[in-house]
Amino acid sequence: MLESRLLGLIIQMVSAPLALIAELTHRCPLHCVYCSNPLTLENTASELSTEEWMRIFDEAGQVGILHVHFTGGEPLARSDLVKLTARARAAGLYINLITSGIGLSETRLEALTKAGLEHIQLSFQGGQEEPADEIAGARSHSHKLRLARLIRQFNLAFTINVVVHRQNLDHLSAMIAMAEDLAPDRLEIANVQYYGWAFENRDALMPTRQQLERSQATVIDAQERLAGRMRIDYVAPDYYARYPKACMGGWGRRLMLIDPAGQALPCHAARMIPGLTFDNVREHSLQWIWQQSSTFQQFRGEAWMPEPCRSCERRSEDFGGCRCQAWLLTGDAKATDPVCSLAPSHPLVENVVAHANDDLAPTRSESVRLPAAWVYRQNPS
Amino acid sequence: MTLEMTSRPRLSAGCRWAEANRAERLLLFPEGAIRFEGTGREIVERCDGQHTVEQIVEELRQIYSAGDPARIEEDVKNFLGHLHQKRIVDFQLESRCSSLDSSD
Repeated sequence: MLESRLLGLIIQMVSAPLALIAELTHRCPLHCVYCSNPLTLENTASELSTEEWMRIFDEAGQVGILHVHFTGGEPLARSDLVKLTARARAAGLYINLITSGIGLSETRLEALTKAGLEHIQLSFQGGQEEPADEIAGARSHSHKLRLARLIRQFNLAFTINVVVHRQNLDHLSAMIAMAEDLAPDRLEIANVQYYGWAFENRDALMPTRQQLERSQATVIDAQERLAGRMRIDYVAPDYYARYPKACMGGWGRRLMLIDPAGQALPCHAARMIPGLTFDNVREHSLQWIWQQSSTFQQFRGEAWMPEPCRSCERRSEDFGGCRCQAWLLTGDAKATDPVCSLAPSHPLVENVVAHANDDLAPTRSESVRLPAAWVYRQNPS
Repeated sequence: MTLEMTSRPRLSAGCRWAEANRAERLLLFPEGAIRFEGTGREIVERCDGQHTVEQIVEELRQIYSAGDPARIEEDVKNFLGHLHQKRIVDFQLESRCSSLDSSD
C-alpha cells in the first residue's frame, strides 16, 4: 500500500535532464593526483559570466530539472557563488555544493545557507594529515577537519567523501573513525576511477585484490554498527567489477554537465572522445541541446550498441557501461566497456589488475617507500 | 534516535518538497527525488515536526477506516523507520522539540 518509487526508474524518455552538473570553474587550490577533470582545463577568461549562469538556472527550473550540483574545479573559487546559489534556489532547483572546503569561512557558509544551499559534500584525501596533503598537493586536511565541525552547526545535509586507492586503502578504519567523529549524515567512500589525472597515475593508485576484499569487510562492519546514525556508501573500482557501472545513469538519459566555458557534455570526461562536437549554452537553450544536439544522441538508447551488449539482458541496466573508458582503453568509444567480463577487450583490464597484484609493486604502507612520482593536476592558465 | 509513539517525525535537513507548481508531489533530497503517492504521501506530508507518530497513525486510521488498525500502525512505523534509514526523516521526542532545526 505504500507506494514510493525512485523517480529515475519510472522515467523512460525524459524531456529534460533530472539534474544539471555545473562545473563553475576549473580553478582549484588543490592538485589531487586523481582529479577527474580533463587534462586540458578551461582558463578563467573563457568562464561563463554571472549573468550567463543565472540564465541557465532559470531555464533549468523552467524545463523541470530538479537538482543542480555545483562543482569544478573548486566552486568556491567563484566570487559570485552566493549570488548564483540564490538564483538557482529561486528557480526551484535543489542545491548541492561539491567542494574541497578551501575558501569557505563561517561568514561565507552562513551566506550560502541563507541563499538556499541545501547539501554540502566535503571531500577528504584520506584520514591522516600528511599523506592526505601529499595526495592533494596542498596543505588542506586540517582546514577540512575544522570546517566539517562548522558545517554541522548549520541546517544542511552533510556528506563526507573520502577517495580511496592503493596508498590509503589499508587505513580505511581510521577514515571511518574520522568521519564518525565529524558526524555527517552520509559517508561516501569512493575508489578512484581511472579518467583524467587518475589515468596518468594509475599504477600508483590501483589497489590490490586483497586490499579491496579487506576494505569491503570493513565497510560492511561499519554499516551495521552505524546504521541509523551515518549512512555509508561504498564505490568499488570499475576495474575489479564483473559488469560495468551504469555510467551517468545512461548517456544523455538523466544528466547534463555544463563546463566552465558553457559547453554541454553528457559526462565529466566526454571531451576526450574524438569526433564529438559539444554545443554551447551561449548559443542554444538547454532543452534544444538535450533533444537536438548530436552528441547527446550519439550513445543514447541502444541503437549504437555492438555485441555483446546488443543482445545482452543487462543492456537496460548498465547501458553498455562507460563510453569514455571504452575509448581510453580500446581507442573505440562504441566498444563494450572493457571492464565488463563479457567484453572482447576485457583482457586489457585483466592485465592492469594482474600488474597491480604483482608482488613487485609494493604499497607505501609497506617498508619500501616508493619515490613520489605523482603527476599532479595543474591549474588552468 | 529510535522511533517512539511520542516522536515527532520531520523532514531531515537538506530534504524538502519540490516547488508547489508541479503536478506531482516530489520530495527532493541530496541524492535524488522520490514521488510519493497514496498512503506514503499521507504519512510524509504529516512529518512536519508537529504531529506525533501516534497522531499520524490516528489520522491514517480515519482516512483508511476499512483497514486493520493494528496493521496501519505497523505499516506507519515500518515506513518511517525506512525513511529514517534513508535519512529522509528524523525524529524528535516530545521533550526535545523546541530546538528548531538543529542538526542532531
